Amino acid sequence: MPQLHDVDYTLEYPYTRTTGPVIGPFLTGLRDGRILGQRCGDRVLCPPMEFDPDTFATLEPDLVEVGPGGVVENWTWVAEPSAKHPFDRPFGFAFIKLDGADTALVHAVDTGGDPEAISTGMRVQAQFREERHGSVADVYFVPEADAADQVIEPGDEPVTITEHLISLRINEPLYPHRARFAQGLLDGKIIGQRSPVTGKVYVPGRGYDNMSRVLMSESDEVEVSDVGTVVAFTELNPVQYYGQTETEPYVRCSILFDGTDQPVIGIDIRDMTVDEMRVGMRMRCIWRDPEDRSVEDIDNRFGNVPESVYVRFEPTGEPDVPADELKEHSW
Amino acid sequence: MVSLAEDVAIVAFEQTPSHAHFNDSEPAMIMPCVNSVIEQVGMDRHDIDFTIAGSCDYLSGMPFAFVMNIDAVGAWPPVYESHVEMDGAWALFEGFVRLQSGDIDTVLVSGSGKCSPGSYREGFSLQTDPYVHAPIGLDPRTQAGFQAQALIAAGKATERDFAEVVARSHANAKNNPYAQLSGDLFVDDLLAEPYVQQPLRRLDCPPTSDGAAAMIIARADRARELCDNPVWIRAIDHRIDSHHPTLRDLTDSPSVRIAAERVGLYDGPVDIAELTVTYSPEEIILRDALGLNGQTSVNPSGGPLTGSPFMAVGLTRVIELARAIRNGDGGRGVAHASSGPALQQNLLCVLEGDG
Repeated sequence: MPQLHDVDYTLEYPYTRTTGPVIGPFLTGLRDGRILGQRCGDRVLCPPMEFDPDTFATLEPDLVEVGPGGVVENWTWVAEPSAKHPFDRPFGFAFIKLDGADTALVHAVDTGGDPEAISTGMRVQAQFREERHGSVADVYFVPEADAADQVIEPGDEPVTITEHLISLRINEPLYPHRARFAQGLLDGKIIGQRSPVTGKVYVPGRGYDNMSRVLMSESDEVEVSDVGTVVAFTELNPVQYYGQTETEPYVRCSILFDGTDQPVIGIDIRDMTVDEMRVGMRMRCIWRDPEDRSVEDIDNRFGNVPESVYVRFEPTGEPDVPADELKEHSW
Repeated sequence: MVSLAEDVAIVAFEQTPSHAHFNDSEPAMIMPCVNSVIEQVGMDRHDIDFTIAGSCDYLSGMPFAFVMNIDAVGAWPPVYESHVEMDGAWALFEGFVRLQSGDIDTVLVSGSGKCSPGSYREGFSLQTDPYVHAPIGLDPRTQAGFQAQALIAAGKATERDFAEVVARSHANAKNNPYAQLSGDLFVDDLLAEPYVQQPLRRLDCPPTSDGAAAMIIARADRARELCDNPVWIRAIDHRIDSHHPTLRDLTDSPSVRIAAERVGLYDGPVDIAELTVTYSPEEIILRDALGLNGQTSVNPSGGPLTGSPFMAVGLTRVIELARAIRNGDGGRGVAHASSGPALQQNLLCVLEGDG
C-alpha cells in the first residue's frame, strides 16, 4: 500500500443563537464585568435560567448581581486541557456558588497550574478577560488572594446573539482503498473496484459494494478508462457562505468513465460555459504532468477526481451518447 | 411496570471487536455485523421490515455521515429506515416501540462509532448547554471528574473503590474476545498512576475505541420462526436528569431509579447486569440505584472500561447480556446504556431467556 498523507482537517460549523430574556442580560453582564443571577422564589439561580428547575414554571426575567466572589463546592483538575478549554495549561474546573446565589456555576479556576491550590470550600473571585464578546468564556476564576482589581468598560448594545464557531479536528490515515485510488491519480490512472457479486465497476471504490453488501479489497480493483461521458452537469454560482473558497461561476459535471457503472461526480470544468455542456458529450481527461499532480486534498470521503491532477476535461469530438442510454447514471 | 402490546425478542446479534483504530469507513465496519445477523436467521435483507441506526456525525467528522451508513444495510431498493443521533441502544428503543404497533414483524438495529479520528472530549462537549457550558469546553471527562469527587466528598466511595472497578473490569475482559483492554491489574499499582482528571486516573476512563454492533428483534410469533433460542425484551425505558450538573445530586441517579421502577427491575432477581460504566465511579452509582447485590454478576464482559466504541457501546451491553443469557449464565438480567455526561440520561432493558 502506498504511503501517502494522513487525512487532517477541521470540521467547522458557525452557530448563531438568540439569547432570550434571561441569558441575554447574563451575557451582557459578563461583557460588562458583572455576573447576574435570576430570582426564583426566594432563591437566586446562577447560571440564570428562564424556568424554575424544580417545577419548570416560566420565570419572569428578574436579574440580580451576584459575586464576584464565591465558594468552590466541587472541583476536578484538568491535567491535559483540550483545545476547547479556557486555559492551555492545567487548571481546575469547579462548581462555584457565587456570593448571593443559591446554585452553582460550572467554571474554570486558574491556579497557575498548581493542582494543590484548589479545594472544596476555598474562596475564588471572578476575573474578566481583556477581550469580551458576551460569552460565558469572558470570565474565569482565580483564588481570592490572587484576584486583581479590574476596571471594566461597559459595552453599548445588549447581547442578543451569541456566535459559537465549533470546530472538530479529524485526523486519521487514508483508508487503504483511498490511498490506492490517490496513488493511481498520481500515476495518471483512475482506479475503480469491480463487485465480485454483480461485476459492476464503481469509481472511486468505497471498499464495498453497497448493492450486494460485500466488502471489496485490492484484488477487486481495476484501472478504468480516463475517457467518459457527461451524465449530468450544472452551473454553480458560489454563495458566499462560511468556508466558501469559490468566487466565480463554474461548471460542475458528472462523468461516467468507459467501462464503469457509476459516474464520478463533482468534476469541475473551468474552460467551458454551461451553454457548451451536453448530457451525452464525450470527454477525456488531460492529465497534469506527473510532477505537477497532487492528491493532498484527497480525504476519506468518497469524492471526485480533483483538479489538482488534471489540466482540464476536453471534448473528444466523438458523437454524443444518446441521453436515454444514460438514465441509470444521471446523478 | 408497563404492559406490552407485543412481546418482542432478540433473535440475532453481532458486534465488532473494540478497535483502537479501524482503518476503513464506518459502513465497512458495520456491514459485516449486518450481514452476520441476517445470515444467523436465514433472512433476506429485503424481508426486514424496518431498519434503524444510532451514530454521531460529530464523531464521524462528516455532515450526514449517518446517511452513508445506510450503505451497510444495502441501499437499494429503498429501505424503511430511521436514525437516532444517539447510541444504538436508543435505536433499539425506537425499534422496540415500533414493533408495539403490531403491523410489522422485524427490525434491524445497529449502532456504530469511530472515536479514533477525532477527540470525543471535544465532540461531546457540544452536547452540553450551548450558552453556559459548551463555550468553555465542558467535556464528559470533566463531568465524570466532578461525579467522582462528589462521591468521595459524600463518603460514598474512595479512589480505591474506583480502582477496584477497573481491576475487576479488566480481569473480566480476559474472557471477552471483543475487548480492547484486558488483564490482571493490581489496585495498588492503579492507585500509583498519575491523575488525568483528578480524582480520575487513565484507566478510570474509557479507551478510545472504534466499533459497531447490530441486532435483529422480532415480534413473538416471528421470533420463534426465526430462531430456537430467542432472548425476550421484557421491558425497556429511558429517563433523563438535568443537564446542569450543579442542579442534581451527582452521587445518585434518580433517572436510573425511575427507569428501574418502570421496567420492573426490582420485582425479580437480576442474575447479570451489563452496565455502561464509561468512567469507573459510575459503576458505584449504578449498583446502588439498581439495587444490585452480590447475587448479580456485573459487567462480566468487562464493560466499556475495556472497550468503548461510543454510539455502539450501549447496544453492545444489550448484546453481551443476550449472549450471556443464551449461554445459560443467567435467566434474567438488565442492560444499561447511558447518554450525556455523568450518567445524565439512562436507558434500561430487561432481558429474559426462553425458559
